[in-house]
Amino acid sequence: MNKKESPEEFNRRDFLKNTSLAALGAMASCVELCPASTARAADSPDALTPAPPGPPVNYGVIGAGAWGREILTTLAQLPNTPVVAVCEHFPAGLLRAGEAAPKAERFDDYQKLLGKKEVQAVVVATPTHQHLDIVLAALAAGKHVYCEAPLANSIADAKSIARAAQSAFKLVFQAGLQERAHPQRHFLRPFIRSGALGRNVLARAQWHKKTSWARTSAAAAREKELNWRLRQATSTGLMGENCIHLLDAVTWFLGARPAAVTGFSSLLLWDDGRDVPDTVQAVFEFADGARLICDATLCNSFDAQYEMYYGTDSAILVRESKAWQFKEVDSPLLEWEVYARKETFGAETGISLVANASKQTAQGKNAVAASPYPNSPLYYALQAFTDNVGSINAEVEEFISSFGEDDPQALRDHLATLKRQPAAGWKEGLEATVLAIKANEAALARQKIELKKEFFEL
Amino acid sequence: MNTPIDRQVPCLLAALALLACAAPSRSADAPIRFQATPKDSLVLIQGTSTLHDWEMKGPIISGFVEFPPGVRFDTNQTTLPGLKDGKLPATVKASIPVRTIRSEADVRPEYMERLMQEAMKETNFARIEYRAAELVMQTPHAPGQPFAFDVQGDLAIAGVTNKVAFPVTILPVEPDKIKIHGQAKLKMTAYGVTPPAPNFGLGLMKCGDDIIIIFDWTLQQKPPAPAAAK
Repeated sequence: MNKKESPEEFNRRDFLKNTSLAALGAMASCVELCPASTARAADSPDALTPAPPGPPVNYGVIGAGAWGREILTTLAQLPNTPVVAVCEHFPAGLLRAGEAAPKAERFDDYQKLLGKKEVQAVVVATPTHQHLDIVLAALAAGKHVYCEAPLANSIADAKSIARAAQSAFKLVFQAGLQERAHPQRHFLRPFIRSGALGRNVLARAQWHKKTSWARTSAAAAREKELNWRLRQATSTGLMGENCIHLLDAVTWFLGARPAAVTGFSSLLLWDDGRDVPDTVQAVFEFADGARLICDATLCNSFDAQYEMYYGTDSAILVRESKAWQFKEVDSPLLEWEVYARKETFGAETGISLVANASKQTAQGKNAVAASPYPNSPLYYALQAFTDNVGSINAEVEEFISSFGEDDPQALRDHLATLKRQPAAGWKEGLEATVLAIKANEAALARQKIELKKEFFEL
Repeated sequence: MNTPIDRQVPCLLAALALLACAAPSRSADAPIRFQATPKDSLVLIQGTSTLHDWEMKGPIISGFVEFPPGVRFDTNQTTLPGLKDGKLPATVKASIPVRTIRSEADVRPEYMERLMQEAMKETNFARIEYRAAELVMQTPHAPGQPFAFDVQGDLAIAGVTNKVAFPVTILPVEPDKIKIHGQAKLKMTAYGVTPPAPNFGLGLMKCGDDIIIIFDWTLQQKPPAPAAAK
């Protein structure tokens, strides 16, 4: 509840201090490396007091394809996110969206949805190349916007979205980079930034799934529309449509922007007329000589999705909402690791870096390796967005009722001081979108591209 | 001797202007109102608990303070114009929106904010309100220092109004701007607020009943209203 150090500078002492339960646990010889709010299962006798939900935010969801329906399902799980409108121009898609959100008014035109006064926030889940017009119209209509990542399929469009979001200071804009709002990531990042890796030398990220990406429809025109991912004109490829989350997570954790990217790509399995490769590698070079190798394929599912961080003292594996540390024999002993749960990966032993990992009850044969974060990354991202919309709405209303609207700069300054739930804003969205677009370009051209500063600046 | 008409007109205008300055205007007789500014104000609520001390902050304090005509805060003076028997009549109205009071917690600060809002019945009583009618000046006033007063007024929290007394200081920070600083010790239960006792994961965290409210309130003198046109 007390003061916070600079969010960008961490050391191990700060890490322990900031995870206040960890500090108290250490005194009791039982380190629990988790945020306080996630330390107990909801059904345990000493269950946490649940946080009362914030004020309800009325949602409109634009784009009701498979991902749009996943968003509708997730919004239905949150306690304060009624969906009052859905939009999909494909009638069958709109029908299915209506089933997922039965109380929502249905629209086949996003402009009509934006004209509905009750809609306070919209989720833009259309194909990437359609984001720009919808986001600009939504912000102009005074709606808070959650825009799926990548923001756009060109840097120019992504910058237009970022500029509009920056100008709309009374509105929340969140990029759909879900990991930025995940509590496990916020527990883990200070640990990595505190120097647990030693000197970072390499990172690796992968997204593997055997799937064609192709969609079918009885109508040829609809099928073409559905398969926007398969054409370079509309798709940012595997780097944009999938790996963007990994690229964002790694650069965020390492606290650095790469200086260049070299790419490779091939169409090895799904040669069905598409011009988007099904297998891609990108090597990002950082100024200090470290590299990030990111690879993705639609041809093989083995090992699915994960990130590895390699340092001179240890390596850290992050998979879904769990993480493990693999220490070098010459690295310093951390006091808490004696009590931490360990898991075996082949010949390696990993120290579990999830909540409950060091509890005595979590040791031994009967230890349950359940994650303390039972919800999907999308759930946490939409929860953060909803909380931030509620907060900013409250602040704007109270400020105007207290001081009027004569001084918009004062309101802007006031809102700038508002502490928000961590999530990706326009800046992070632009940064990750540029990385993904340039990685895709490098992969298609099989060449090296310098990541110039101006790519990322408005 | 006749004066040409083109020389008479400027003289007449000058005379009218002098008369206008000399005559007491309605605005000069009006109370001096300092209106809350949207910047440079802060209310800080400090409390204790069985785990650790806590703190919440709110940047919005709206309202105004009105003083009798002629009151001017010049810290170089040993006294204050407008004092009567050491008392300064004033109309003080301050208001703090409960939902703008924010936790400084690193992790899920909204958790503490919502518990506090629930405890303070924010849905029904959205603002903390304060009213007072006079300030009692502490003497002697040391030149160069802020003016110190004792103030007693009505403080309404969560629908319960109590008389409270606490010291404040008034410091002129610009020719037309003052900053009022003060702090008051309160008990939550005196306002029907049950100290929150959430389970954060290491047993019950029980908040203490005693809190301290510290505030810095910046106000700007409102320009006198122009005389109504006839």
